[in-house]
Amino acid sequence: MMNVAGLAPTPDTGHELRAEIRRTSQNARARRVLVSRVMMTLCAVAITLAAVPLVMLIFELLQKGIPVLDTTFFLKEPQSPTLLSPNATGGVSNAIIGTLALSIYASIMAIPVGVLAGIYLAESDSKLASVLRIVSQTMAGAPSILMGLFAFSFIIQDLHIGFSALAGSFALAVLMLPVIAISTEISVRNVPQTLREAGLALGAKPHKISLKVVLPTALSGIVTGVILAISRAIGETAPVMLVIAGGYTDSWKPLDPVSALPLTIFMNAKSEWPSLRAQTWGIALVLVAFVFVLSLTARIWASRKQKVGN
Amino acid sequence: MSELVESETSPLGQPRSGGPVAMRLENVAVSFNGRTAVRDATFDVTKNRVTSLIGPSGSGKTTLLRALNRLHDLTPGAKVSGRILLEGTDIYRGNITVTELRSRVGMVFQRPNPFPTMTIYENAVSGLRFNGIKKKAILDEAAESSLRAAALWDSVSSRLKVTAGQLSGGEQQRLCIARALALDPEVLLMDEPTSALDPIATLHIENLMTTLKSRVTIIIVTHNMQQAARISDDCAFLLMGEDRAGELIEFDATEKIFNNPADSRTLDYTLGRFG
Amino acid sequence: MVLLPDLLPQPEEVAEFSSATSSRSWYHYLLIAVSLLFTLVSVGFVLSILLKSLPTWAHTGTLLTSRVWQPPNGPYGGLAMIVGTLETSIIALAIAGVVGLGTSIAIVFLIPRRLRNIVATFIELLAAVPSIVYGLWGFLVLAPFMLNTVDPWLNSWPFAKEVLGTSGQEFGSSLLLAAIVLSVMILPTFVAISREVIAAVPQDLIEASLSLGATRWQMIKDVVLPTARIGLFGATFLSLARATGETVAVALVAGGVANMQFHLLYPGTSIASWIALEFGEAQGNEISALMALGILLMAISFSLSLVSRWLVNRQRKLLAKV
Repeated sequence: MMNVAGLAPTPDTGHELRAEIRRTSQNARARRVLVSRVMMTLCAVAITLAAVPLVMLIFELLQKGIPVLDTTFFLKEPQSPTLLSPNATGGVSNAIIGTLALSIYASIMAIPVGVLAGIYLAESDSKLASVLRIVSQTMAGAPSILMGLFAFSFIIQDLHIGFSALAGSFALAVLMLPVIAISTEISVRNVPQTLREAGLALGAKPHKISLKVVLPTALSGIVTGVILAISRAIGETAPVMLVIAGGYTDSWKPLDPVSALPLTIFMNAKSEWPSLRAQTWGIALVLVAFVFVLSLTARIWASRKQKVGN
Repeated sequence: MSELVESETSPLGQPRSGGPVAMRLENVAVSFNGRTAVRDATFDVTKNRVTSLIGPSGSGKTTLLRALNRLHDLTPGAKVSGRILLEGTDIYRGNITVTELRSRVGMVFQRPNPFPTMTIYENAVSGLRFNGIKKKAILDEAAESSLRAAALWDSVSSRLKVTAGQLSGGEQQRLCIARALALDPEVLLMDEPTSALDPIATLHIENLMTTLKSRVTIIIVTHNMQQAARISDDCAFLLMGEDRAGELIEFDATEKIFNNPADSRTLDYTLGRFG
Repeated sequence: MVLLPDLLPQPEEVAEFSSATSSRSWYHYLLIAVSLLFTLVSVGFVLSILLKSLPTWAHTGTLLTSRVWQPPNGPYGGLAMIVGTLETSIIALAIAGVVGLGTSIAIVFLIPRRLRNIVATFIELLAAVPSIVYGLWGFLVLAPFMLNTVDPWLNSWPFAKEVLGTSGQEFGSSLLLAAIVLSVMILPTFVAISREVIAAVPQDLIEASLSLGATRWQMIKDVVLPTARIGLFGATFLSLARATGETVAVALVAGGVANMQFHLLYPGTSIASWIALEFGEAQGNEISALMALGILLMAISFSLSLVSRWLVNRQRKLLAKV
């Protein structure tokens, strides 16, 4: 069966070694295969375990959320149910407008700063860039409630601006900044070096290359990052809950107190009125729909980038 | 063993060396999702010889080689038909598990692929550990013997504890050969093992193969005709057929394939008229 | 040769050719100004909260030693919140880590290729679902289920009452429920990253291990997971950071009771959720005490981020050519 001739150190010990190896591996085989089967089965169990609550969550959202959605829900301001009309919850137009206003103002503050800082991170190797890189990575991982504390301390206590959409959007902007900066840095880094060199060879000035060649190429990646940052901001409760005061009326004004969809869920989930509790499912569904649409848009942008890249 | 040596002609009706057979291929075909990639492969791999698979790209050499240790099992939609016999046992339907098959039929890949998280020593004994061998004395002895067999021992014996990534490309490929040899396989499959290496490293590996064949039967896929001529004893020539499926055109002793082939297409290819 | 998932941008990979900064144009100065502004905001972020918390550190000094939180005059002890944060996030990570790793392995190695992308997209979408939605689901669906089914069942085991506490508190709110909701919430985050880094392990390493006779599990355990470990560290730390910093989901389901609690079936609280729950009513020195809790939370988050960066860099150096 075996060829023991040739290069084995000495034929005899080589033979014994090989025989022992063959014997041991033969004996171990059945157990190894069994262990593998068991472990792979456990992985299959794990994915089932993971799927159950997540599928259940989506199912509950659709089942309990859809019945709540009607024109009142979207267009009317909220009202308090009373014993005489326990189902008169009104709508959540204030929270829808509040969420839109908060994310628009936050975007106005965060996008220019985040994108430019991201470009700087990608194109500079200065001390400032390396400090900023660590800062943005650390900030990106900071709990969002801290942004709320910061906005309260700075906007409300120090600047005396008051509970307002402005204070809430400031908190969200601080949350979005590092996310935008990091994703911008990555997209700009991914622009092929040859493109810049081609620009240089044509005699263009470096900042012209950055603006006219690098940025347009990196644009879809940057947009993807921005959309993801906005979708994260829309769903956040903690940063805004300390500073926007949960206003009950529709308002786009930056200095008015506003509400937000996630905050309304938080406040009504423990309400003694079943009608208000039921309404939270509708809000959650709208919120999730918002976030899904944004995430899918971001994905489409990202794949568009790949096509252009090819 | 005796029933494998009985016939003096190979199934294609061509003469062969007459030595004992390590692997026999009978009408082997591989298809992916119903599309045939290679078919009609019938030949015997003789023990202690180097058998090369040559042919232009797309002729299914690598696909055929990977069927010999059931690597296609990983690919959904892949189907291997025909029979492949290892020492008389059908490797797809016979009484042999896929892990046992692979410990008896080793493989060396196109790009050197030592395990990056393991040291040189751990790489050398990884196959043994996979197969349940734990005794330190055995592992040490096997590591040394296989590294020696791969002509690597002298240059790495002092740094067995460093990660494999620190070796040069040629050394990494020899480590991969040592890793496969440690299990003492009967057959070693080599898929263009030198295509990612420089000429000197290639020469080392070629010399190595010639010395190794006394210990293990080698089947090598190569793009390089000179390499096939230099190192192989038998040679299978494959070509892409009209439906883009690879076919075995001719199998014979390497000398015959290169000097006096039966099929004119073989001659055209070895003379470099296409491919 | 060695392909490793690139989790964090590496400073040494900075483009040698810096188009924006090699010239002293207005654009160059704009970039620097904006970067300084960003840095300033971040410094302000830390300082602002720190300054507001100073009275608490100076006067009461009980934040790390007391378990009693008593507005309006104190003491303000944070032990209950610290313990609750640790308990809930570590249990959540243990559950999500084990289930998530198995899930990622199953997605990459068990699920048919055609389904794989759909499942991956689904997981990424779930990772983007706002935490308040997980909290709502935990409070309205899971809590009654725990109250009526799981808690009594857990209590039926010997010694369970001594270890876990008795069931039936606060509509099913408990630290255990908070840990479970957190684990469901961080699972998609963990899987989204770990699936990607596992799938990024080069196919030729997988084939090499199998062709040496490894079983599928040996291939995963000895080759795939070690090769992917940097990314798995990243997934673990990111999930842990999400769990420790989570506010509203925990505020909804943990019960919001500031008792230092080792019995998991009793209601409790965490640092972040306590800030959220108390802030609305807080006045004067309680605000300062909550700011101090915020500093504590910041310290936890920053050290997690530091440790993870250190680990990732160390691993990278170990694997890279020295």
